[in-house]
Parts: sequence; structure tokens; C-alpha cells
Amino acid sequence: MIATENMAVPEQRTTAPALPVDKFSYDNTTVKWFAYAVLFWSIVGMLAGLWASISLFYPGINLGLPATTFGRMRPVHTNAVIFAFVGNGIFMGVYYSLQRLCKARMFSDTLSKIHFWGWQLIIVAGALTLWAGFTTGKEYAELEWPIDIAITLVWVLFGINIFGTIIKRRESHLYVAIWFYIATWVTVAMLHIVNSFELPVSILKSYSWYAGVQDALVQWWYGHNAVAFFLTTPYLGLMYYFLPKAANRPVYSYRLSIIHFWALIFIYIWAGPHHLLYTSLPDWAQSLGVVFSVMLIAPSWGGMLNGLFTLRGAWDKVREEPVLKFLVVAITCYGMATFEGPMLSLKNVNAISHFTDWTIAHVHVGALGWNGFLTFGVLYWIIPKMWNTPLYSKKLAGTHFWIGTIGIVLYAIPLYWAGFAQSMMWKNFTEEGQLKFQFLETVTHVIPLYITRSIGGALYIAGAFIMVYNLRKTIKQGSFIANEAAEAAPLAKEVVTHGKQHWHRWIEKRPMQMLVFSLIAVAIGGILEMVPTFLVKSNVPSLSSVKPYTPLELHGRDIYIREGCYTCHSQMVRPFRDEVARYGEYSKAGEFVYDHPFQWGSKRTGPDLARLGGKYPDSWHYNHMLDPQSMSPGSIMPTYGWLLDDKIDTARTAPMIRAMQTLGVPYPAGYDQQANRDLLLQADEIKLSLAGDKIKTNNQQEIIALIAYLQRLGKDIKAMPKEATAGNE
Amino acid sequence: MSKSSIQPERFRMYRSMRKSFLLAGSLLSAPALWAQAPVPSSINDPFVVIMIIIMAVLALLIALLAYVVLGSAEIFRDKQKQEEALAPEGVVPTNGVESVQKKSQGAGPVLSVVALLMLALPVMAQDTEVTTAAVNGYRLSDTAFYTMTSVIFLELVVIGVLLYNLNILLGIRRKKKLAAIAAKPTVSWWDKMNKFKPVEQESDIDLGHDYDGIRELDNRLPPWWLYGFYVCVLFAIVYLWRYHVSHSAPSSLQEYEMAVREAEVKKAAFLAKAANNVDEHSVKLLTAVSDLDAGQKTFVSLCAACHGKAGEGVVGPNLTDGYWLHGGSINDIFKTIKYGVPEKGMKSWKDDFSPVQIAQLASYIHSLAGTNPPNGKAPQGELYQAAGVDTTGDAPATDSATAVK
Repeated sequence: MIATENMAVPEQRTTAPALPVDKFSYDNTTVKWFAYAVLFWSIVGMLAGLWASISLFYPGINLGLPATTFGRMRPVHTNAVIFAFVGNGIFMGVYYSLQRLCKARMFSDTLSKIHFWGWQLIIVAGALTLWAGFTTGKEYAELEWPIDIAITLVWVLFGINIFGTIIKRRESHLYVAIWFYIATWVTVAMLHIVNSFELPVSILKSYSWYAGVQDALVQWWYGHNAVAFFLTTPYLGLMYYFLPKAANRPVYSYRLSIIHFWALIFIYIWAGPHHLLYTSLPDWAQSLGVVFSVMLIAPSWGGMLNGLFTLRGAWDKVREEPVLKFLVVAITCYGMATFEGPMLSLKNVNAISHFTDWTIAHVHVGALGWNGFLTFGVLYWIIPKMWNTPLYSKKLAGTHFWIGTIGIVLYAIPLYWAGFAQSMMWKNFTEEGQLKFQFLETVTHVIPLYITRSIGGALYIAGAFIMVYNLRKTIKQGSFIANEAAEAAPLAKEVVTHGKQHWHRWIEKRPMQMLVFSLIAVAIGGILEMVPTFLVKSNVPSLSSVKPYTPLELHGRDIYIREGCYTCHSQMVRPFRDEVARYGEYSKAGEFVYDHPFQWGSKRTGPDLARLGGKYPDSWHYNHMLDPQSMSPGSIMPTYGWLLDDKIDTARTAPMIRAMQTLGVPYPAGYDQQANRDLLLQADEIKLSLAGDKIKTNNQQEIIALIAYLQRLGKDIKAMPKEATAGNE
Repeated sequence: MSKSSIQPERFRMYRSMRKSFLLAGSLLSAPALWAQAPVPSSINDPFVVIMIIIMAVLALLIALLAYVVLGSAEIFRDKQKQEEALAPEGVVPTNGVESVQKKSQGAGPVLSVVALLMLALPVMAQDTEVTTAAVNGYRLSDTAFYTMTSVIFLELVVIGVLLYNLNILLGIRRKKKLAAIAAKPTVSWWDKMNKFKPVEQESDIDLGHDYDGIRELDNRLPPWWLYGFYVCVLFAIVYLWRYHVSHSAPSSLQEYEMAVREAEVKKAAFLAKAANNVDEHSVKLLTAVSDLDAGQKTFVSLCAACHGKAGEGVVGPNLTDGYWLHGGSINDIFKTIKYGVPEKGMKSWKDDFSPVQIAQLASYIHSLAGTNPPNGKAPQGELYQAAGVDTTGDAPATDSATAVK
């Protein structure tokens, strides 16, 4: 262990009494704006979530509009709560705490302003484009390429602003909260840039640079670490500032901070493949995902313990102080979620939980409990401080706390139940060896639980409304301190210390080294998982019968992505007895080599579609899109009537084919010029087959393209003898 | 506190103790009751015998302990009385009494829950035994095993609670004496487990850092946390070793093959016994009303989407007109349902329905011939002529040209 007794010797800081004291002020205005943004986007994001949750038992809530179907509302909801609500929460907390921890005003007020408005603009643009159906089809990274670039730019400005502040600090060492901020900044930059490699084909449309298995690995390396470095590490930083401040207690253990910080950022990055267990991802990568997730328990709990133990001797305050109540529940939810996560990463648990609502329950314990409650706690703390007045009503804050807590419970428990029950039904066979339940039966079975979940969510939002009211009243009664006066001695050139120092103090004085070492720590895992998957051929064995999509199918695929079909349908048959019986042969890595982006999905609200091709006639799909209930009574899929009216944009065909060629899809040279001819030929075939079933339609309708794509799914592999695919594992 | 107010409290404590004892006593009979529940087949299992003996011994131990606790409670009461007589009014340390009272009141409900559980278990056990015995033969069912294990576990919990009570009753005087001598705050298991430094001594480990008023302590890492971390790392090494070096754990695909093999064995065993062994060669037309009703039910829920509620044909062909694309004998219909015609959009239903269900469905569809529902789709395929059956004749002879898409 790192323990040495002389660590306990207090360090002498050389602030010679004669030294003049700098007078300066903290910028509260930026913090105020971010706080307003948090309040606004929390309501917007949560309402979008409520809307999406209601459409699961009442699909008609979309009012027949494309923008309000689940497939588009769900990305709007996830992007709004992650990047708008939590994102602004991070900036609010960082801008408040960093100035005080550095004893310096933010580096540049102008940068702060650009950062604020830039980020809000990104959010608005993101919401509008997602509603309009512009999406990359990669979860939590749905925003299209121009917005991706804007995010990168704003993130760099944010980086300059925080590093500028750190460099002109009046505090010799960096506090643990700042370590987390630095690691967050550098890792999010890395994740965003690597996952957003995409080839633009038009102003708002691009294709992922990666395909199939590789795209899946990169995506979930990103997706998992978006949770890690956007929802977790910055919030741990906030916890390290606001918890000891609110409780007025010293941080429990400095050495625990050190160990759990470095272990957390190093281990977290490896864990992404646990989202892909039993898929076509190579087994070795899956195993790395499992073991690093298990090893992650301790570093995560290190943060929880350092938080909860900091409250030793202050538990009486928790009873009185709403801020602490929120923080305690937040930290407890963090502990629960970070224990559950590794358990869900075990293969035998994942076989049950994956693709079900269990995952949704799990993330919401984290999102509503940890991120939500911590943000609320911080808001209840900084707003009275910045407006120099006590909170308008502690009682209302207490009401918010209880309504919110009950909301979380009512949200999570029904979904745990739904996930488990549905999974058990999927896997159930009769003694004759037949699947016991049709997929639809398992869906209608859990609908009452979906309703309960929405009630829980509504309660949680009601709590947020109470908070908005309470804070508004607080703001009204106080007077805002735009520039909070502060004073501190300037940083001495040489910091002389007495006694032996902890080895880690060295890096705490060196922000650049901190940045570099953090980057190294987070780069290792990603590189070791991705490079072999990209370079070693045996990881994705090719299948000779797998051919590129036809132009019409590519159009259909774009529609599939636009409508967010992947938010409810997977395209990944796992090697389980029930899935093979229900959907067909399990998926092979080689089947996805032309999938830019991959569409494996993460949730089966509807059945898997990997082997849909040829299962139903064209007319079935036509009727099903027009009115799902007519073909599957009881279905909760919304109607897609506009696909019958809207026309395929054939002008896009040529650039689309050229983009695919650039990405390595082997279309013959010059194919972009004949693609539209082939497209019409295939469309005519489908038109004819529909006419055979008394359906009259044009060959230019979007529905034709979508049918072409759906009828192609999983067909290539059916064309080859079974022995040929056997080695492809 | 005055004597008069202590007295009823003490009485209540005594009463709740006695309640615990009675409940504990009733536990004695529960395992015996339960032991009779399993069917004779599993009682022969030596493992079951051992489990039952353990349960009985533990139950005896509970009875014994409960008796001792009761006795010591009486001694405790006497001693307390003596002490009060000696001590001046108001100085009586009441902490101990209160805590004992709390504990024993706590034990009461716990014990009653345990007792209730145990009374409920035999019922459950019986249920499951009857159903599983047929399948498992002599093997002990999972439910029985877990029930027994949990009974033993609960008995251990009860023993723990009783020992705890006993400890308080007998040890309280000693503890009080110690406290009087050293006035040393007791270290709770929680503090020990986390190696907490008492809050009063935390200035010893204050690092002197000050970040905007936030100080940092240098507490030791909680040992359980640290060793937990080591265990996780060990798990990771063993896991990777087993899956990728020694290959002693099955890969995903091996797991799949094992599951399929196991299922096939089970299915074969079931079909060998069941009257379910029907295929397209051996299937006979069913005419019983119950069979046709069952067939109709399946038809309406799943086939109607393509073939219409009355079999008149929508996306799929008309099933009532006597014309068939893939043959109209019961064997042909059975075969078409079982394997499907995937290239025309008819899926295979063999993983959805049992052979008997397919036979019922085929028989129902067969019975639709000539029903002539409204909105019937034009005939497709060939007219099927079964021996002696002639379904109306004025439809075109064959129009397979239009039928093939």
C-alpha cells in the first residue's frame, strides 16, 4: 500500500505574510446562464422522454407526424438529457467550482460567452435535425457531421478556457475535482473525434467510416465511455467540490482519491464491448469487456465511499439540508448503478438482460438518480449562494426530493420486472420443443409495466417543476452577484515544502502532465481493442455470398436509419437456442462488412430483423407500414403512412454509391451512373409483386425502397451452404 | 426515571421474550411437517435425509436456546431489580434495558415471519414435488433443494438472533462495568470494517490542504474495498485464463451447441412418450369439434393476417375455394404449414407450433373447403380432387400462371 506515516505531516504553504494579496472577482454570470440552461433543458429533455415512453403503450401519440414517432423522439430524448441537461450541468458546475479551486477568474469572459451560446446552438440544431430525421444512426452520436464539427470546436474553446484558468491559478496544486475535469475534457475529445469519422454525402447526411463489427466496436467504445466520461467523471468532480462544501466536512481520503481516479479512467475505457456480448464481435474482445467491467467495481465504489464517508460526523445535517439529501441519494444511486453494471456484464446475466427493458431501468437509475439528483443538489446550493439569499423554501425542496425519489422507484422497478419477464418469455419452450410465446405476446404482456414506468417518469418531472418554481422564487427574492469579489495571494514562483510529500503531489502542480498522463491512461484500452479488430483478418472472416446492397436497398437503408428503426429493432441474432428458433441462423461477423453504419441495435421493443428477408411477402410489409395493427394485432409500432406518399430522391443515388466506393464497398467503377437504372428495375419488380396482391402503387415511393431493404436482410447467408458458414465464427 | 415507569416496560420485555420462545417452539414442528411433504421418491435420497436431520437438529437447538434465553432474562430481571434497590433514584442506567427491549421486540416479528414462512413452505414444496417428480424421477427438484437450504438458512438466522439476545442479557453487566472503568467509546463492526479513524482524532490525518475551504484527510483505504479490488483483478485473470488459454469454459458457440443438444435430448424423450409424434406422412384428418376449435383459434390469431379471418385470402391465397398451390390433402397442408414456402412469403411454423397443433390447424383449414366466404380471393393453383369429394366446379381449371409471382 502507498501508506507512509509522514504523509500526515501538514504541508507548509509558503505564503509569506508580506506578500501582497491579489484582489479579483469570480464570474457568476456564465454560471447563471448555464444554470438557466440546465433548468430549461431538464424540462425539455424529460418531457421528450415522457413522450417517448407513452408512445410505447399508445403509439398514436405521435399524431401521425414523422417527427414525433418513438424512433425520432428517443434520440431527441437521449441527446437532450445527456448533452443538454447533463452537459450544461457539467459546465455550470465546472465554471463555478474551477474558479474557486484555482482562486482565479475564468480565463476569458468572451470565450465563456461563445462557449455558452455555441453549446445552446448545437443543442437546438441537434433537436431540429433529429426531429427532421437527419441522423447517423449511431446511438448517442446521432448528430450529423456539421454539428459534430461544431461540437469539436466548442469543446476546444471550453478546453482553452479551463486550461487558461488553470494556468493563471493562484493555488499551487490541483484539487481532485480538477483532475476529473481534465480527464473528462481530454477523453471526451478523443471519443467524439474517433467515433465521428464519417464521410459526408450531403450537407446533412454522412456514412460512418467504419462498417459492421468494427463500427459496432468503435460505437460501443464511444457509447459506454460517453457514460463514463460525460455522465460520470465530470460529475465525480462536481461531487468532490460540492459535497464537502455543503457538508462542511473534509474529504474522507486523499489516497483513495488518487487510486480511484487513475484506476477509474484507465479501466473504464476497456469496458465498451460488454454491450456486445454474444454478438459477432470476436470472443477475445467480449472477454476483455467482461473482465474490465468487473474490475471497475472497486474504482467506481472508491468514488462512492469517498463521498459517503466524507459525510461522517455530518449525517445530522443530511436530515436538515435538502442539498445533502439530493447528494446522498445521487451517490447511493451511483453506487447501485456501478455495481449493477458489472453484474450485467457477466455473460450469463447479460444473456437475460440484454435487448430488454432491464438495460433501460439500469441507465435510468444512473441518469435520474446520479446525474439528475446531483444536478438538483448543485442547483439548490449555488443559486442561493449567487443570489445571496437563503433558499425560498426548504420544504418545497424536501417535497421535490421525495417526489423525485418515488419517481425513480416507480420508474425503475416496473422496468426491471418487464425486462426480466419478457426475457424469460422469449426463452420459454414448450415440452414439444416449440417456442411458447410469439414475440408480440411478450410485448403485450409488459405493457402495464410501461404504463407504470411513465407514471414514475411523470412524478420525477413534477418534482423538477417544483424545483423550477422554488428556484425562481429564490432568484426573485435575492440580488444577483455578477462578479463575486475574492482575494488570494499570487502563486509563488517556487513552492517550498517541508517534510516529505506524497509522490502524487508532483503531478498536481503540473496540469499539462496531468493531461498527457490521463490521455495515455485512456488511450491504451481503446488502442489495444481496436487495432487488432481492424488489422487482424481472422477477426472478421469474409463470406463470399455477402454482396453489397443494391441502390434501391441503400435508399431503403437510409429510410430505416432516418426513422430510427434501430431504436426498437435489433439486427443481431445471438447464438441462443430461442433466438435461432425464432429468427433463424445466428449472425456472422462477415455479414455486416458493407453496413455503414452497423444497425445491430441495443433494444428489442420489436423483434429482431436480421433475418427478416423473405419471411413475409412484399404486400405484408406494405400493409404493415400502413397500419401495423392490421398485420400484427396488438402491435405497438406506429404507422408510417408518409412512406407511401414520399418519393425516393434518386438524385442522391450517384453520390451515395460514390461514397460507398470511397468507403471500400466494391461496386464496379462507374456504377454510380447506372445505379438509378438498376434502382428502377428492382422497384418495378416490387411494384409488380404488390400489384399481384391488389396493391396499386408507384415505383418511386419510399415504401418500395424500404421493402427492398427489409427483404434483403439476412438473405445473403441463406444462399450459401451451411458448412461454408460454419468456420465463420 | 422512576420505578413505576420502568416496571411496565420490563414486563413488556418479558412478554415479548416469551412470545419469541413460543414461536421458536412452533418451529420445531414445522420441519417435521415439512419432511413428510416430499414424495417418498426423494426421501430415499441420502442427501435429503442429511438435510432433514440438519434441520431437525437446528430446530432442537433453537428450542434449547430459546429456553436458555428465557431463563437468563429472568436472572437479568432479578439482578436489575437488586441493582435498583441499591442504586439511588434516577441514577439507574437505563440504556441497557432499553436496548434489550428493543432487540427482543425486534426479534418477535422476525421470528413470527420465519414461522409463517416455514408454515407456508410445505404447501409450496408439495406443489412442486408432484409436478417435477414425473420428469426428474428420483432426482431432487431444484425447488425442494432451495427450500431446504433456505429453511436451514432461516434457522441459522434465528439461532443468531437468539445468541445475540443471550449475549446482551448475560454480557450487559460486564459491558457496563468496562464502560465505567475506561469510558472508552466502543468500536462498532462498521468502524472496524472500514478502519475508520474516530472523528475526534481526524486532525492527525488532516493533510493541511485547503482548496476554497475544502480540507483533505488521509484515511486509510477501507480494507474490504482494497481486497475486493484484488479479488476482482484475480477474477479477471482467472476468467481470461479459462476462456482463452485453458479453454475450460465454453465459448458462446459451444454454449449454443450444448443448449441445442440438451434440448434435442429432452424433446426426443418427451415425444417418445407423448402422443405428439405426428408428421406430414402420418398425419390423419381430425374431425373432433375440440380439435377444430383449437385449430380455428390458432388460425384467427396468426393465419388470419394473411389469409383472412374466414380463410378468404388477403395477401395469402384463398383457402376455401378448393384450389391449392401446394396440394390440398391433409398431408400437404400439414407440410406447407410445417415447412412454409419462404420464397412466397409463407413462413415455416414448426418452431411455433407443436405437431399436434399443426395437425389441428391443417384439419381446420381442410374443413373450410366450400364455405365460400365474402370477398374471396381469386383461386390460385390446382383444383384438388380428393377421392369422393368434389368441390364446386365452375372456377377456371388452372391459373397457376397468375399464381406464381
